[in-house]
Amino acid sequence: MPLIVTRDLRKVFRSAKRSPGALGALRGLFSPVYEDRVAVAGLSMEIERGEFIGYIGPNGAGKSTTIKMLTGILVPSGGEIEVAGIVPHRKRRENARNIGVVFGQRTQLYWDLPLVDSFELLRAIYGIPQDRYRRSLDAFVELLEMGDFLRTPVRQLSLGQRMRGDFAAAMLHEPPILYLDEPTIGLDVVAKEAIRTFVARVNREQGTTIVLTTHDLADVERLCRRIVLIDHGRAIFDGPIERIKNEYGRERTLVVRFTETTSAPAIPGARLESLEGLTARFVFDRATQRVDRLVREVSDRYSVEDIAIEEPELEGIIRHIYTQGYAGEERSA
Amino acid sequence: MLAAYVQYWKINLLTMLEYRADFFMWFAFTIVYHGTALAALAVTMLRFPSMNGWSLREMFFLYALWMTAHELHNALFFNVTYVPEYIREGRFDRFFVRPFDTLFQVLTVPSRTFPDGFILGLVTLAIATHVAGIHVTPLTVLTIAAVLCGGAGIDLGISLFVAALSFWLIRVDTLRWIVMSLEQDFTRYPISIYTRGVRIVLAYVLPFAFMNYFPASYFLGKHDAAFGLSPEVGLLTPLIGLLWTAFSYAFWNIGLRHYQGTGS
Repeated sequence: MPLIVTRDLRKVFRSAKRSPGALGALRGLFSPVYEDRVAVAGLSMEIERGEFIGYIGPNGAGKSTTIKMLTGILVPSGGEIEVAGIVPHRKRRENARNIGVVFGQRTQLYWDLPLVDSFELLRAIYGIPQDRYRRSLDAFVELLEMGDFLRTPVRQLSLGQRMRGDFAAAMLHEPPILYLDEPTIGLDVVAKEAIRTFVARVNREQGTTIVLTTHDLADVERLCRRIVLIDHGRAIFDGPIERIKNEYGRERTLVVRFTETTSAPAIPGARLESLEGLTARFVFDRATQRVDRLVREVSDRYSVEDIAIEEPELEGIIRHIYTQGYAGEERSA
Repeated sequence: MLAAYVQYWKINLLTMLEYRADFFMWFAFTIVYHGTALAALAVTMLRFPSMNGWSLREMFFLYALWMTAHELHNALFFNVTYVPEYIREGRFDRFFVRPFDTLFQVLTVPSRTFPDGFILGLVTLAIATHVAGIHVTPLTVLTIAAVLCGGAGIDLGISLFVAALSFWLIRVDTLRWIVMSLEQDFTRYPISIYTRGVRIVLAYVLPFAFMNYFPASYFLGKHDAAFGLSPEVGLLTPLIGLLWTAFSYAFWNIGLRHYQGTGS
């Protein structure tokens, strides 16, 4: 049985609509007009134990709202939801024991306290036995290299240090499920890499099920085997990264650098995408065109200095889907 | 849960030691704050030897009773005041993802609280009891303790109610401000000096009169001139504190279901 199940999950936010002006405000006070905003519009998915899911979508697609329903913060407007056999918003406290949460935008640590005091408080909250606490803490301090700033008040930490603290705080009670909401936002490459290595290891060694929402597709490409792509509160793709790449990655780019200025170069079977200086980019369909023929054609016709073939990156594919819509089989979903 | 509560106070104590200057400043402020109120009371009473049958000594006791209950509330429950801010800034989310009651978690956010005001209140109350000439038996001590708890409960109930409102209304500062001023201004004198409308509010709507006026009347053996109630009404304070807290807690739990959080 899957660890996390949602069926036709919905969330509608209702807010009072304000009319402009003092008179409008007054009217709103007595006969408020409500405005509904659908954040999640019928989301169904299943996540198995030990999976590492990339949950991605543009701003306002409903990612955070979904995470908040899975964690029990928000009560769904409709549909079903079950996490490790528990309906999160009904048995919030039991659910909390099973999960760890990292919100990249908001720290869960206490601003004025040294990191280690926050950890001590969490130890008491989760009732972690002293020896197990020591063991996990030592491991985290080593893995996340927190030794230097364990006694520094959180407000004095850099973002990268604070995020590492947040990860340790979310994992101290060794939850089987970890939700990461934009955990690498605003971090430099080194801190990002440290965190990626850490979560990959947690997933691999402890079998922790991880749901990651992020805008950094490099995170997803590096860590996740499966992605769920949502837009307008609906899942428009759910499957392995390879599949989305195969379906959309049929296009390849042939990058040609000429030795001399060439106006309007053309190769049969490929479309000229751009020409900048001596470098031209041709797009072709891998399924219908053979690379060796294209290469031969281009070197027969022009004087060529260098040739390279580029595969599409996940980022490009996702961008394409956001703007053009998903054309795969799950469009009807 | 107990372990977490102990840990919370341990951290409070440690942070207090770390921010000593801040602590002493607060302590000095608390002394000045209550000192000014008492001085104002004394000045007023120099002109009017008695106010609706209450002497300065009795009014000193009246004030000390409120002050101690209020400071007990501040020491244990002051964090409730921050709830609207937590909600507005999206910091409330974290209370949902931890395995404790949300209110308990609000109360245990390390906040540099220390029961200095309450200790000051107890000392003031002891002096005031002596000055007012109240005969103290062990039973009196127990009754006063119960009244203090009830008074703190009334404070908690009312501030929790305002805090729970912020699950629907994002800004409740004005309301909080009104309630706070009402409490500060109308607990200083016996409520019998006010007009009927004010008396009804203080006794039945926002029952601040049960924090000090009614119980003080009981301890001083005075007849209530506000409603003509018997002095024993003052013994209802613990019950009223409990009822208000229970009512607001239920309201709070309804509010939790309405929680919408902030953007992301």
